[in-house]
Amino acid sequence: MKKITSILLAVCGLCAPSLFAATINKTYCVGSLSKTLSGQSVNFWGFSDCGGGGGMMGGGGMGGMGSATAPGPLLEIGAGDTLNLTLNVNMMTPQESSPYNGHTIHLHGADVQTSEDGVPETNGNTVTGDTYTWSPSAGHEGAYPYHCHVHTVKHLEMGMYGAVIVRPRDASGNFLNRLNQNAATAYDYSQVYVLSTVDQAYHSASGDSTVFADYNPQYFLVGGKEGKTTSAPAQTLSAAKNKKVAFRLIGMHSTNSTFQIKDGSGNVKPFTVYIRDGRALPTPKTVNSVDISPGQRADLIVTLPSTTGTWYPQVVYKKLRDNAPYATVYGKITF
Amino acid sequence: MLKKLGLYALLLIGQHCILQTDAVAAVRDFTLHIDNGDLTITGAGGTTLSVWGYGQTAGLPIVPAPTLTVNEGDTVNVTVYNHRRVQHNFVVQSVTTDTNPIAPGGSKVYSFTAPTAGSYLYSDTLNNTINREMGMHGAFIVRPADNGNTAWSGGPAYDHERTWVISDMDKPRWNDVASTGGTVNTSVYKPNYFMINGLGGFDAMMDHGTMIMGMMDEVTLVRIVNAGQFSHSLHFHGNHFQVININGVRQPVPFEEWDTINVPPMSVAEVLYTVNQTGEYPMHIHTAQAETANGVYLNGGATMIMMH
Repeated sequence: MKKITSILLAVCGLCAPSLFAATINKTYCVGSLSKTLSGQSVNFWGFSDCGGGGGMMGGGGMGGMGSATAPGPLLEIGAGDTLNLTLNVNMMTPQESSPYNGHTIHLHGADVQTSEDGVPETNGNTVTGDTYTWSPSAGHEGAYPYHCHVHTVKHLEMGMYGAVIVRPRDASGNFLNRLNQNAATAYDYSQVYVLSTVDQAYHSASGDSTVFADYNPQYFLVGGKEGKTTSAPAQTLSAAKNKKVAFRLIGMHSTNSTFQIKDGSGNVKPFTVYIRDGRALPTPKTVNSVDISPGQRADLIVTLPSTTGTWYPQVVYKKLRDNAPYATVYGKITF
Repeated sequence: MLKKLGLYALLLIGQHCILQTDAVAAVRDFTLHIDNGDLTITGAGGTTLSVWGYGQTAGLPIVPAPTLTVNEGDTVNVTVYNHRRVQHNFVVQSVTTDTNPIAPGGSKVYSFTAPTAGSYLYSDTLNNTINREMGMHGAFIVRPADNGNTAWSGGPAYDHERTWVISDMDKPRWNDVASTGGTVNTSVYKPNYFMINGLGGFDAMMDHGTMIMGMMDEVTLVRIVNAGQFSHSLHFHGNHFQVININGVRQPVPFEEWDTINVPPMSVAEVLYTVNQTGEYPMHIHTAQAETANGVYLNGGATMIMMH
């Protein structure tokens, strides 16, 4: 009885800010694409939004038709919503041969039932298409990745990942520009930084090749772009002074990494981390840098100054053995 | 009820509680033998690695080394016999300070008081990390003085306990070379085997001493000890975990909840994983090659979470 009461209390407490719950149906296909990285053409597999209806022809065409991107489409859903994410695997879908044929979508960090988890080794090897359902609870707002969980050592590397942002809604069902229901997390602009690294050898190897025993990344990306210098940033934001910018950092790379924000003179700008891995930190942390390891996320906010300028959010990719830097990928904010 | 009484006693005794526990502290004697041996990774991609290790029986080294478990305040005596022809040592990180070698054919007794409850890493610190990489590493676990199922005195309670010693080995460039008397070029390290408790993923996913297993609402304390040379980013499916201790630093309450934790080389972390739904889920390292055994998927750093 006591338990029931406390559950009821908890449910009512969580429901209070928003009674609105949407059902979001999406269908994703898988396609091939190529990127030119440091002058080299590299083949990727990516997700594309191919219509809400599902079915073989989707509505947006079949996979492999060139509309796929890496990272895949950005998904935004509300806490309390129900996401039905259908993966369409068809005869045009690029894939490996058995036992690593087919694809899945793993909603990383969603803690869904085994049948929705997209892991072929535990879901009965359902790799030829499925619908993945997730209803994130209030309090679970934040940045999550989705990615294929078939032969992950290759398929993740191939570009089969994207971001799901779980957002708070107001009582009318509109997305709030906050990281969660906490008013202190209000922001004016949002930047999703999907971190990834590329070892070209992994893109041409398949099966249980010894290539996958050794990882030698040559290309370092944020949002699928190199951003090797401040004059050619991977992502840019044109903002206003005094405003707040949210960053959603999502680690889909295979190295260590550190995120910082610097001005043009290299001065470090502190920011406040409110959420890690889709859970609000009991005590938000104001820091000069945050490390993001493969699979981790951080949702943070930085306040822009009152004078015009340019800042460079940046990710330093580092070696797993000694943290020696591989490369820095730059973003840019003007205000 | 017991826990409540214990807490009450602790409050009453205050500063003197440490003396109280000292009064009942035990003497714990361990013997370790250093020898040459083999570590076999079974299944596709598997191999037999030449290793050097600590074992409880002469001639039978195991990798990782035996887990040494004591209670806070115990007097610990570890006698280490070096049956190899080169120098070795035995150092419990952040606990013992004697890094001097044990001579070939010699032995040494390490006596110390068990420190504050937590998870520690012991290893051979000589030979420019080669000895550690070759298998000379293990976990030293200190339970609270009352030997109760809490992470430390007054700390969070748990139902089950697992210790995961994470390791990586570079067979062609390190193990094959060092075991045949060659000189390892330590500036190059490209590990092709990744283990939890000395097991590739195919074994670790079925090993009851490694897997997390529990019924609804049961809590498992997982002690993660990275004896390897790579950072390992461990992702848990099924539920988030609470981060309670990082490198001996007890985390503030309420604990942060993550689904992925990065454990750098020679680092230790303690997390609490609670069963909140039924199902079967993997726990795996999220870094490309560390999921493999010489490139074979899932025979690397992976195990299972079984919730019933």
